[in-house]
Amino acid sequence: MVLLQIAEPGESPDLTVARSIAVGIDLGTTNSLIAQFDGAQVRVFEGASGQPSLPSVVHYGAESTQVGGAALALANEQPENTIASAKRMLGRAREDVADDPYATLTTDGALAFATDQGKKTPVEVSAAILDALKIRAEAQLDGPIAGAVITVPAYFDDAQRQATRQAAELAGVKVLRLLNEPTAAAVAYGLDEQAEESSLLAVYDLGGGTFDISILRMRAGLFEVLATGGDSALGGDDFDREIARYVTTELAMTDPTPRQRRTLLGIARDAKQALSESSAIEIDGSGLGGDGQKIVLTRRTLEALIEPYIERTLKACKQALQDAGVESVDRVVLVGGSTRTPAVAQAVAACFDQTPLCTLDPDQVVAMGAARQADILIGNRSDDDALLLDVIPLSLGLETYGGLAERIIDRNSTIPIARAQEFTTARDGQTGLVIHVVQGERERVADCRSLARFELNGIPPMVAGAARIEVTFRVDADGILEVSAVEQQTGARSEVVVKPAFGLDERDITDMLKASYEFAAEDMAARKLAEAGVEAEALLEGLRVALVKDGDLLDRDETQTLRDGMVRLEETLQHSDADALRDSTEKLGRASETFATRRMDRSIQSALQGISVGQLDAESSE
Amino acid sequence: MWLRRELHGLTVNATAGATSRDYFSLFHIEPNFKIDEIALEQVYHSLLSQFHPDRYAGKPQVEQRVAAQLCADINAGYRTLLGEVTRAHYLLQHNGVDLKAAEREGVGADFLMTQIILRERLESIAEGDQAGHQAVAREIDEHYSLSRDRFAEAAQGAAWHDAARYWQEMCYLAKLVDATDARGR
Repeated sequence: MVLLQIAEPGESPDLTVARSIAVGIDLGTTNSLIAQFDGAQVRVFEGASGQPSLPSVVHYGAESTQVGGAALALANEQPENTIASAKRMLGRAREDVADDPYATLTTDGALAFATDQGKKTPVEVSAAILDALKIRAEAQLDGPIAGAVITVPAYFDDAQRQATRQAAELAGVKVLRLLNEPTAAAVAYGLDEQAEESSLLAVYDLGGGTFDISILRMRAGLFEVLATGGDSALGGDDFDREIARYVTTELAMTDPTPRQRRTLLGIARDAKQALSESSAIEIDGSGLGGDGQKIVLTRRTLEALIEPYIERTLKACKQALQDAGVESVDRVVLVGGSTRTPAVAQAVAACFDQTPLCTLDPDQVVAMGAARQADILIGNRSDDDALLLDVIPLSLGLETYGGLAERIIDRNSTIPIARAQEFTTARDGQTGLVIHVVQGERERVADCRSLARFELNGIPPMVAGAARIEVTFRVDADGILEVSAVEQQTGARSEVVVKPAFGLDERDITDMLKASYEFAAEDMAARKLAEAGVEAEALLEGLRVALVKDGDLLDRDETQTLRDGMVRLEETLQHSDADALRDSTEKLGRASETFATRRMDRSIQSALQGISVGQLDAESSE
Repeated sequence: MWLRRELHGLTVNATAGATSRDYFSLFHIEPNFKIDEIALEQVYHSLLSQFHPDRYAGKPQVEQRVAAQLCADINAGYRTLLGEVTRAHYLLQHNGVDLKAAEREGVGADFLMTQIILRERLESIAEGDQAGHQAVAREIDEHYSLSRDRFAEAAQGAAWHDAARYWQEMCYLAKLVDATDARGR
């Protein structure tokens, strides 16, 4: 994991003195934004032409790479070199995606686009967009960006989240947190209100390529996601495609070329937007090589075309309400450009029986919320800030005998979470087993999404059912999963951080970083050293403080071992050897884990004592 | 006490929890089936506001790691204690009840019959027969409440053998309640 830090080697990473620059990034299917909270308000960084949003389009020409508006401008000229909506393919396998209407997909290896610059994976395309956003913001800021909160659709699965993280790593953006888009929107709305009373909020987020619905409970100091649902492949792009299909049929076009398809989609998008205002429009088909035919598209026809998609979103809304255990909500918020389509807003109003709120720009609200959360996570705010509790969107489990999925962690569980389950062997003398990790709600493994497979070997031969294999699932605050398996009697152990099989592995990323013109070898080395230095200093400083405050938790030997480790690390800091420094920090970190655990246990006690005399009594007497 | 410890040590491995942390003491509540859910939620929130990984951003990685692990336990523990079926299961484990033996013994034949009849009635309700659906749903709920109350009583009196049987009844009926909800949608 490559970290980008602001501090130079030797400089103390004291985050309380200077205001660190942390940004929120909305990496969208069609448009992306970058924003910062400056302590008073959120600023969305604009491009050269004053546009806040950057089209999520990358052009890989023979001569150069363009991102955003410049890339979009080249789309008609060179459709096959211009990649749009790459987010749809992020963390996806070849069999998951239909043919791309925009560009050509490679036919072998990892899912990628074929361009004049060779194969480009969706992760690389997303990294190029993140890089452009970073450059845009840094040009308008006083210093480099220390970290970012990147938003992802709540319904993104583990593989899609991993791929997003990889893209950030490739772009040299340190991820403070992956934040679910509807949750980010709720933060943007909620923090302005500071409601004392607990209230229920639904966030309906229909973007270009994804749909999310989240139900949150908000009260002073706490934002709790109760349930989330959606579809990570449903959005305004589907509306465009339906319109394009309609036009194709009306014009009796057969087998349109990539260029024609792109033109059709452009026409469709314009038509959709125009129909938000008018009840009927005329489409000129002459640019499509037809016989100059004109066709009329009414709002009613559009509504009929997109009705099945809207219906799918409403079904997810009802499921989310049920999952949250509530019948209605106090407010509904609309997020995402596709909620501008009147039929969508009307359907949401009818479903929730109230007029939805859209006082904040639906295109910017996600980035705004992310910027606020980034400011908190970088340490610019006090501990009194609202705490955000998010959930995982899909259940996680294992394949068991007969191709059935055994759930370990239920969907809508608050993260981070860890659960363990014991399994045993099915046959006599079985010495190994395959652990197949799946995600989804269906009972059959074949209907779930396969996340990873790994093996646990070295189990001594026993009769069937005698081995005791404990499988532990851990989901971190980003919603990323780690699985480990241990045979209890022998201690045979195996674990994986679940990596999307179709993503990039660490080596690919390192190779790409090396190849990238931005990170010349010496820059890389300097950056690695700086990062290692910052982490080492932070650990040493943390331990010094801890030893003063809680030194009584260690016996004499334990204290001595820690002090020795600290001296060694201080010595290593004097030399410019990043690997040794990282190694030394890691060792001291491991050695101090018990100390950290004991200190935390002590603070649990004091935390609970605090409540029992204070607020608990007060609140229970209400 | 020795027996309980010994068995407790064995059953922890079969727990659907990540560590051997005692959830009742983590949340400062008495190890009973009847709990004060409001107090549980308040302790849960106050623990999370102190130990959530968001509060450890910028701290050394070892502290972030330990906090994340603790928070994972807090979330898993809250979920376990909040649900009636999971809380009953946890309480049995906590008291060293041999659940494998209990499962081999199973529930009574009468209960099995009742359960089968309820399921058949649920499945035979005609599409759109809301009144019929509600009637069966109410009846299933009543059966569930009965088994739950019996469990609570048995647990209160430390009659673990009976409690383990009532817990299994709760499991059967909770599945039926889910099936009822799914059909009612």
